Amino acid sequence: MKLAYYPGCSLKGTSFEYEVSLLKILEAMDIEVKEIPDWNCCGASAAHSINHNLSIALPARNLAIAEKDGFESVLAPCAACSNRLKNADYELKRDDILKKKITNSLEMPYDSQMSINNMLEFLIGVVGKDKIKSMVKKPLTGLKAASYYGCLLVRPPKVMQFDDPENPVTMDELVSLTGAEPVDYSYKTECCGAINSLSKPDVVMALTGKVLYDAKNHGADVVVVACPLCHSNLDVRQKEIERKYEEKIGLPVLFITELLGLSFGITPKDLAIDGHMVAADRVLKKIEELSK
Amino acid sequence: MKTVLNEQSRRNFVAQVESMLHDKLSKCYQCGKCSAGCPVNFEMDYTPNQIIKMTELGMEDTVLNSKTIWLCVSCNTCSTRCPKGFEVTGIMDVLREIAERKGITSKTEKEVQMFHEVFLENVKSHGRIFELELVGKYKLKTKHLFRDMFLAPKMLEKGKLKMHGETISNLNQIAKIFKDFE
Repeated sequence: MKLAYYPGCSLKGTSFEYEVSLLKILEAMDIEVKEIPDWNCCGASAAHSINHNLSIALPARNLAIAEKDGFESVLAPCAACSNRLKNADYELKRDDILKKKITNSLEMPYDSQMSINNMLEFLIGVVGKDKIKSMVKKPLTGLKAASYYGCLLVRPPKVMQFDDPENPVTMDELVSLTGAEPVDYSYKTECCGAINSLSKPDVVMALTGKVLYDAKNHGADVVVVACPLCHSNLDVRQKEIERKYEEKIGLPVLFITELLGLSFGITPKDLAIDGHMVAADRVLKKIEELSK
Repeated sequence: MKTVLNEQSRRNFVAQVESMLHDKLSKCYQCGKCSAGCPVNFEMDYTPNQIIKMTELGMEDTVLNSKTIWLCVSCNTCSTRCPKGFEVTGIMDVLREIAERKGITSKTEKEVQMFHEVFLENVKSHGRIFELELVGKYKLKTKHLFRDMFLAPKMLEKGKLKMHGETISNLNQIAKIFKDFE
């Protein structure tokens, strides 16, 4: 099956570590994906916030190009992108009038047959647990990892059709496959504040603070994510959260692709783990010690 | 608060919202579950269930000028938990869009509104987001020039801030999408 890859803007910018580590583990597993040619921004939260039709038309262009190029399945590692692509697909299926307007504007048809996968869906559903398990050369035994799903991977459930919206487990299963121990904590699907990071930083820090402190209080060594926005809010703003609440956190935030890569024996440098704002040195050292 | 309303304008507003929402306001029976689970309820002037009721009552000016519609981060917790399956998150999108079309600038949450606008301008110019330009233009527009600037040096050092953006080849198609749907 031909697999299309929709990187989205964040993976080419602030969350470049996500793309680097993703491509590394795919290469290790001998899985080939092809970037959708000349893809455009999905419009993220801004488009649906102020212009519904635009929020469907922008992702629809990417889906239509992928379809035209003969792809049946697309991987969108950014949770926001996968959410918007799925939303567009959903709306185009239920709103014939809008679909006609959009396909006319794009001058491209769209058949709505595309299978859209977020990172976790892709790893569990397309790659498969057996394959992943067979790749683990350096089990992360003893490492405690808190999976943070946030909103966009699981909600709204009627559109996302993925895992349990209140208590998802897919990422915890992947964490278990690496040999690490999933941490049970209360905030795994609470919102991080998402797009309001720049416009309402205090609100965002109140939300991300709860996630980070709760994960830490439940013994986490590391937080694992599958969304660039979640990553940015938990990692980039962590120092500021510590200052605001006058309590040290020091929790590195890793993408699930990085955690998997470490268990495959890929070096932290090759996974771009040094690109994060919160240094992961302590955790990497712990992994080294545990593997001895 | 103005509560005596013209029935015809109430009906018009309800009809507009419901047609954009693909849902019926009367589905909501005011249980408040949406508001209880809302992660940003502590900042709002009206809770989500109040917004639904006020929309149904035709209190157009109040809802379109509320802080709530701009504070909502579309996390979809409310819609997921609604026992009636009402599009609670959807109504926030609809009300923001109506406010935007009417040229209403939020008095209290104009930064949020401006961020969305600057974001879409960036998509229109390049087809993709050029983060540095997006942040720069947002800062100029809001005049919050120095907020978050302390993050910049380390982000640059880590390679998180790219100095050049990418522009797609078929920018004409993006221009056409904006022309047809903006």
